[in-house]
Amino acid sequence: MSHFKKIPRTVVILVVLAAFGLTRAPFEDRLVRDLIDTKMVVPPPGMTVLDQMGQSALMATLGGLRPLVASFMSLRGYENFSEKNWDELHQTYQVITALEPREEFHWVNAIWHLGINATANMELDTKIPEFERKRRFFNYAQQAIEFADKGIDQIPDSVEIRKQVAEVYREKLKDWSSAARTYGEIKDLDGAPQYAERFHGYFLAKVPGREREAYDYLKGLYDKGADQHLPTLIYEVRRLEEILKIPYPERIPEADLNRNRARPQKPKSKPLPGGVIIP
Amino acid sequence: MSQSPPSVFEPASKPVSPFSFGRVMVIASSSVTQLVRMKTFYFLLAFAAIIVVLMSLNPPTTPAGVLSTIKRISFGTMDIFAWLFAIVSTALLIPKDIEDRTLYTILSKPVRRIEYLIGKLLGVLFVIAVSLAVMYGICALALFSRESLYIAEELGAMQAGAQYSAEEVEAQIALIQQQGLRLELGIAVLASFLKSAVVASVTIFLSTFASSSLFSIIISVLIFIIGHAHTMATSFWLYQTDNSLLVELILKCVKIFIPNYQLYSFSHGIIQGEAVSYSLVWQMTGLTGVYLVVFIFLSLLVFIDKEF
Repeated sequence: MSHFKKIPRTVVILVVLAAFGLTRAPFEDRLVRDLIDTKMVVPPPGMTVLDQMGQSALMATLGGLRPLVASFMSLRGYENFSEKNWDELHQTYQVITALEPREEFHWVNAIWHLGINATANMELDTKIPEFERKRRFFNYAQQAIEFADKGIDQIPDSVEIRKQVAEVYREKLKDWSSAARTYGEIKDLDGAPQYAERFHGYFLAKVPGREREAYDYLKGLYDKGADQHLPTLIYEVRRLEEILKIPYPERIPEADLNRNRARPQKPKSKPLPGGVIIP
Repeated sequence: MSQSPPSVFEPASKPVSPFSFGRVMVIASSSVTQLVRMKTFYFLLAFAAIIVVLMSLNPPTTPAGVLSTIKRISFGTMDIFAWLFAIVSTALLIPKDIEDRTLYTILSKPVRRIEYLIGKLLGVLFVIAVSLAVMYGICALALFSRESLYIAEELGAMQAGAQYSAEEVEAQIALIQQQGLRLELGIAVLASFLKSAVVASVTIFLSTFASSSLFSIIISVLIFIIGHAHTMATSFWLYQTDNSLLVELILKCVKIFIPNYQLYSFSHGIIQGEAVSYSLVWQMTGLTGVYLVVFIFLSLLVFIDKEF
């Protein structure tokens, strides 16, 4: 005991701290892995994103304020959108998605801003030379697709991310093959909208060389029953029958033009919260 | 018959028990009173003001997105208030007792120094727990009111056109409910509490040898930032220095000597609507208990023969 008293207290404290640290380190490493696996803890951002972070965002991240920083940066993203500052917006969303990679709507917003808003701006902004506009149009669309790929890596079952990127393929890039592939992925996921299985066929039908595949798929849908006898589906099947020269006895009948008359009239668009209808 | 005089060898009073929970509780309650008198609960007003401002914001997103934003900002603020409060209040308590000379009165009584330290820590933890409960109450109220409003609006809008199936309506409502008030959010509050408890125990250890409250506060905040960042900083620094051996050694030392606060960020996942793994929550609670025991022991090593 007298020997113990002779040891400087600082040394004892350091030894206890070190022993405790060495004992807990493996346990904590395993715990961190388990917490990341169960998605309760967000993994650290990648190196490239850390390089891009501003000093304040980096400090706040180091201080464990990731959700707060991500929320405030979302507001900055909205500001970038209002100012049509697309390159800044791209960087902002890279940081936001790195801070909160499992927050689906950050990914969806990033794809929507870059893939729809930025590309639309490039279609309309006549102040920029046409060549540059086209180049930027494809750059922004590509950035949106990159966000979608990263987002799907983080949230593999996300319907929303795929819906948003499918819109970019469909409306902006007119890339029917990728649109068909994306809707094909959506239709097999939980919570997929009913139209996804039809859209997969419709866009497949637009891809040159895949008409037979599209016909078989859409005909299969048609054969499922009257619920699937929708005008667009009938139109597409009949168009493919023409292209593929399907024998007349095997062809489907034309769409019943009176089909919708028996149904109650629907508003032209889905109402927004509060019952507001956009004509 | 005359009574024999008391022997000089008999003790003058009853022997003092080596540890008394009652004495700990007395010191804890006096710490609570001390903190309440320091008007520490006033920060709850600031929190309420933040929630009011937050409720008036209408970010351009879906109802689920708005609820998620409210949750993330309010729980993030709650977390900051909790650990900041843990640092400041713990760093102030012992120096204040020395300054007011209350410490001399306490230690001249049959109170063990370990009882004093545990009592102080329990007092701080109690005030943090009450503050977190109140902040959670305010946040839950705000979240519930917004959630109910959105559900009513969405139901009205979706049922007005009679074009959505029951499943579609249910899915839309579930989407909002997932980001609304859920029982699991209580675990996120627990995460903040556990983190603050470790922060408080580290600060009490620092304040046993610190020369001023300011020193304890600054060093505690520094330890907090390092403890939060070292997983991320490790890979970043190694990446920048091309896996330097010296850097690796420094980082290993940091890992051993500084608590890993990143573990306590498990509230983030819960706030985002992820499922809670209760076994991990129990392990975290156990680990926090060990941290408290070790840091109280370390504090005692410094405090036990300290002269005032």
